[in-house]
Amino acid sequence: MPADAIVIRPGTAAEVAAALKDASDGRQSLVIRGAGSKDGYGRQPSRIDVILDMQRLNHILAHEHGDMTATIEAGASLRHVNVALALHGQTLPLDPPFADRATIGGLLATNDSGPLRHRYGTPRDLVIGVQLATTDGTLAKAGGQVVKNVAGYDLSKLIAGSFGSIAAIVSATFKLAPRPAASKTLRIQVRDVEALAAIVRKVMASQLEPIAFEVVHRTVSHDDRRRLTANDQRPATVVALRFASLPIVVDTQIEQAAAALQQWATSIEALEGEAERSLWSAHATEVWDVPGAIVRASWLPTNVGDALGELERHATGAHAAIFLTGRAAVGAGHIRIDGDNAAQATVVRQLRTSPVFGNIVIVRGSPELKGSIDAWGSHGDRQLLFDSLKRAFDPNGTLNAGRGPL
Amino acid sequence: MHGTGLSGGALPVAGGLVISLARLNRILDVDIANQRVTVEPGVTNLDITKAVAPYGFYYAPDPSSQQVCSIGGNVAENSGGAHCLKYGFTVHHVLGVEAVLPGGELVHLGGSLVDTPGPDLLGLVVGSEGTLAVVTKVTVRILRRPEAVQTLLAAFDSIDAGGASVSDIISAGIIPAAVEMMDSLAIRAAEAAVHPNFPDADTVLIVELDGPTAEVRALFDRVEGICKAHGATTIEVAQTDEQRARIWRGRKAAFAAMGRVSPNYYVQDGVVPRTRLPEVLNRIRALEARSGLRIGNVFHAGDGNLHPLICYDERVAGQADAAVDVAAEILSYCIEAGGSLTGEHGIGADKSQYMPKMFTEADLALMQRVRAVFDPGGICNPGKVFPTPRLCGEVPGPYRQHPAEAAGLADRM
Repeated sequence: MPADAIVIRPGTAAEVAAALKDASDGRQSLVIRGAGSKDGYGRQPSRIDVILDMQRLNHILAHEHGDMTATIEAGASLRHVNVALALHGQTLPLDPPFADRATIGGLLATNDSGPLRHRYGTPRDLVIGVQLATTDGTLAKAGGQVVKNVAGYDLSKLIAGSFGSIAAIVSATFKLAPRPAASKTLRIQVRDVEALAAIVRKVMASQLEPIAFEVVHRTVSHDDRRRLTANDQRPATVVALRFASLPIVVDTQIEQAAAALQQWATSIEALEGEAERSLWSAHATEVWDVPGAIVRASWLPTNVGDALGELERHATGAHAAIFLTGRAAVGAGHIRIDGDNAAQATVVRQLRTSPVFGNIVIVRGSPELKGSIDAWGSHGDRQLLFDSLKRAFDPNGTLNAGRGPL
Repeated sequence: MHGTGLSGGALPVAGGLVISLARLNRILDVDIANQRVTVEPGVTNLDITKAVAPYGFYYAPDPSSQQVCSIGGNVAENSGGAHCLKYGFTVHHVLGVEAVLPGGELVHLGGSLVDTPGPDLLGLVVGSEGTLAVVTKVTVRILRRPEAVQTLLAAFDSIDAGGASVSDIISAGIIPAAVEMMDSLAIRAAEAAVHPNFPDADTVLIVELDGPTAEVRALFDRVEGICKAHGATTIEVAQTDEQRARIWRGRKAAFAAMGRVSPNYYVQDGVVPRTRLPEVLNRIRALEARSGLRIGNVFHAGDGNLHPLICYDERVAGQADAAVDVAAEILSYCIEAGGSLTGEHGIGADKSQYMPKMFTEADLALMQRVRAVFDPGGICNPGKVFPTPRLCGEVPGPYRQHPAEAAGLADRM
């Protein structure tokens, strides 16, 4: 963030709206910021005049535990929210990257999520109402406080994924989930890529009901490949299946899953308690802990074998190491490309034209990489609507310094 | 359009052009392994489930009209059904649409792959009641049938006892697949129409749990215990698929069945926070006594979605108007309790005048701004959703032939 930008810290909804209007009227560039956990997402920012720091708007305005809903200000951190909701045995079931810092507004604006997406979806699936501030100083709400509601346009969906480019989120209402009584995770070291594809098909066709179903795959870099013996050249592929419910239900499902998937595993272990917690916290940061460009990517779940085969070829061709982590049955996750800028750009371009992958967005990359390849890629026939939406909501191009999708 | 809408959302305006999508009724792609089905908008909701049922899958949203309602209409209305509490609405099950904008441009929102970058235009179009675009293809997610399904029917002497049972079930951290309630008038009507063999009670509660067998077994015992603790007079647990189907037949027939007990009736759709259900239902009972019109109540108790059925006789002078007034008053109770004008039937033409009760001028102006992004001329389903349409598709003056008529593609209705 530039040192010369003015930082405004609004404490009320009206102050958010006023800050947006002032910036728009003064033809300034304004970036909305929570904890800054997603500062690197999207394009390299152009000039930033004003940073709208939302962290004073950090209250839970209502937790209607009997109705399992909560209305939360944009600057509240997910972690603090979930500590408060836990007092009534409830949770906002999201586990995005940087979950210890991420704010509610940033989560909804980027529609970010993590392994729990398998069961609970993304913020757009959980949000039921929103209060927005727009660049003409309007404060408006859409949706409502009840889980079932189809009155008017659901602008809480429109704002999901908008990356602060069309309006500021002041507060949002979400439906909540009960906290499960018990949890266990099956960690499976997978024999090879074909075995992984078989596991994905088996789990998706089964009546198992995990809350998370993750795949982690690491290609072996060109240099490593030369050093390693022939026997060690297999890439490391791991699957984690998490079950959460009543203890007896968790145990039954873990047993059923282990029995069904044993044939494709080189090792299989059930983790609980501290071991399980550390598995998931390591998994959350694993892709981010090492430098390298990171993209969001999607694929059809049963194409996972082809997808990983393609990553192997790209890694070999570009002399890069590639790391994928994602939701196996959703077909979405992050791909990290370790290599120099040229290698990263080559792989991103190949992913953009891939028959298997789609929706490739750069969420971390050097200015050089973002200078050589657009972070968002083509919006296809949606561009028309994005342009029109931007004109309607942000006619002076005030918001988000060109970082967002529109 | 199959004509099953309950809010006049598909009513043509005078002189307007109707685009019927009924001929677009093909199932285009069934991908069981990836749990995706692509259909044209005229395919009925239930036909999707029928296409995938042999493989052990189903399409989750199940409005009561599912045998006849079209998926295009479901997308327009963001249709729900009895199982929304656990599984969500149409918007949670549609992965992508192909749509034609009012300007004639073809756009693809979402798709087979998740995470289309940028604002969620798909989520906006679902539930926009045909005012933003004409949907021409829909890709939906299908779900694996759960390992176990267990349904019970509990009878209570009062709606408060039934409501308290629902509260305790949810407070225990149990999310049933469905929680439905019917009052005595609705029970009698259903009994007369489809003979589901419901007990003659003040209130019946239907609770359905689904999921892994071990989970359903454990939680079902707790649900039964909660119902007994609140004085359930009878509890019938469906032992067979046939018994379960019979219970649901009684519930799903309830709207149509009111014709057995009243010459005319008005179906209302409103939402209250679940915890305010007993209070709002008591207000409805008081209104019933005051208005002299009988009101049957059928509702999705799990998510606070009320469906009061207001009985009247149009042959009696003033009763039809009185029913409209009663229906409006019930909506005001919903809004006062912090709820919504509609849970699943939509605003349509029926409720557009009530939108200012729920939304401020600024709220509605922002929605209009979004509308203009898609439909600057306001030609797409005019006169719906918003209280004062800025533009109207109605063309005054003498008859003018539409180009589609000249081409032999359209007829005057």
